[in-house]
Amino acid sequence: MSSIGILVVGAPRASAADVEALLTLLPRELATPVVLALHRGPHDSLAAPLGRRCALPVVEPDDKDDLTPGRVYLAPAGYHLLVDKGCVALSVEPPEHGQRPCLDALFESTADSYGPRAAGLLFAGHEDGAAGLALLQARGGRVAVVGEDWEGGGGQDGHMEQLSLDTVGAWLGRLAYVPRARGMP
Amino acid sequence: MSAGLASAELESIEVDLLLEGVARQWGFDLRSHARPLLLRRLRRHLREERLDSFSELQARVLHDAEALEGLLRTLSCTPVSLFSDPAFFRDFRARVVPVLRTWPSVRVWHAGCGTGEDTYALAILLQEEGLWGRCRLYASDSSEGLLADARTGVLPLPGEDDARRYVEAGGKGALTDYYTRDGNWALIQPRLRDGIFFTQHNLATDGSFNEFHVIVCRDTLLTFNRTLHNRVHGRLFESLARFGFLCLGRKESLSRTPHAAAYEELEGSGRIFRRLA
Repeated sequence: MSSIGILVVGAPRASAADVEALLTLLPRELATPVVLALHRGPHDSLAAPLGRRCALPVVEPDDKDDLTPGRVYLAPAGYHLLVDKGCVALSVEPPEHGQRPCLDALFESTADSYGPRAAGLLFAGHEDGAAGLALLQARGGRVAVVGEDWEGGGGQDGHMEQLSLDTVGAWLGRLAYVPRARGMP
Repeated sequence: MSAGLASAELESIEVDLLLEGVARQWGFDLRSHARPLLLRRLRRHLREERLDSFSELQARVLHDAEALEGLLRTLSCTPVSLFSDPAFFRDFRARVVPVLRTWPSVRVWHAGCGTGEDTYALAILLQEEGLWGRCRLYASDSSEGLLADARTGVLPLPGEDDARRYVEAGGKGALTDYYTRDGNWALIQPRLRDGIFFTQHNLATDGSFNEFHVIVCRDTLLTFNRTLHNRVHGRLFESLARFGFLCLGRKESLSRTPHAAAYEELEGSGRIFRRLA
């Protein structure tokens, strides 16, 4: 059932620690690329600290880099990260919601290029991302919100699944279940 | 098919028709632009113009040259402040300027200059480094409307942030030395403005127009899809003298372009390349 081609994650700055926890949950055999937009300052170097506890390599991609399964692509400071079919598109358009990278840009472009083959996860706590996630849901993507303080906004497409940090692992598991290699002890 | 998917499909058809119309009527082929960026900018343009659909935009743009210019303006995206990326200008001073000093004359091309902020920043830098008399600075953009703005030398009045970035960029004087204030506007010193050749040039379609020692083309090619991106890099290569410098944006790379092997990245320079072959 795993027809998912991409997992996109958006998070406000306040959720940085939760994002790190999420990254530790990603299985090494993950069969999709993970694209992560996190609100950040202009000079932060984030990929290295975020990658320390993640089984997958965390990289800040250059423009037009390929999206390869099993890697985490972190939106670089000062750029919006959009996804095209199979590759990264960076943009220096003005900040939205006061943010660049912004979360809506990532979700919206994912809705356009992956639609029902995408899964999207938004960490609650900021207005940015809600519209993009609703669009992704409307285009058939599987979406969920992490956090308690989500005030609905699920939109006309109905209920939006809500997760806590404890349940997000199970959600990921359902989404991108990869059978363990045979012959393990 | 869900309603969301159906409307997405319809929007995609309308966008394709709009782009085809613009290409056939005006010769501006936007079909090789990076699709996600294009979609975002088109949607923003639609909101700003208070139109309900791309079909409406198409009807307007096909009949009205001004509407086309408005569209091209939205699609062009350049910094709106001086020294928008101080680290680049600092590296340029440290790594490129010493080499330029040893050359009798220097031709510089700023491709994708937009409304000219970065071009003027570059001019200020060259002036401070004593190179302005030896340099010819060409600045180009595909939008005549943006160029018209750039040529006036009138910018929004720089604020504290601009002054701070100027210092971070290695500025040697005061930013206020380079413009005269007129209300909320700043008029760049005429000796700088008049030394810049602003010229319309479409990177997507126009060929090389000179040989340059320095080409600055930062964050402009983000707009293009891979095919066009690589083609344009071919043109930049043809336009760059041997041992000349190519300056790209911080997250732009040459690694997948046809001439990657001909360049060497200056170590720690944040994407300044030197053509060696």
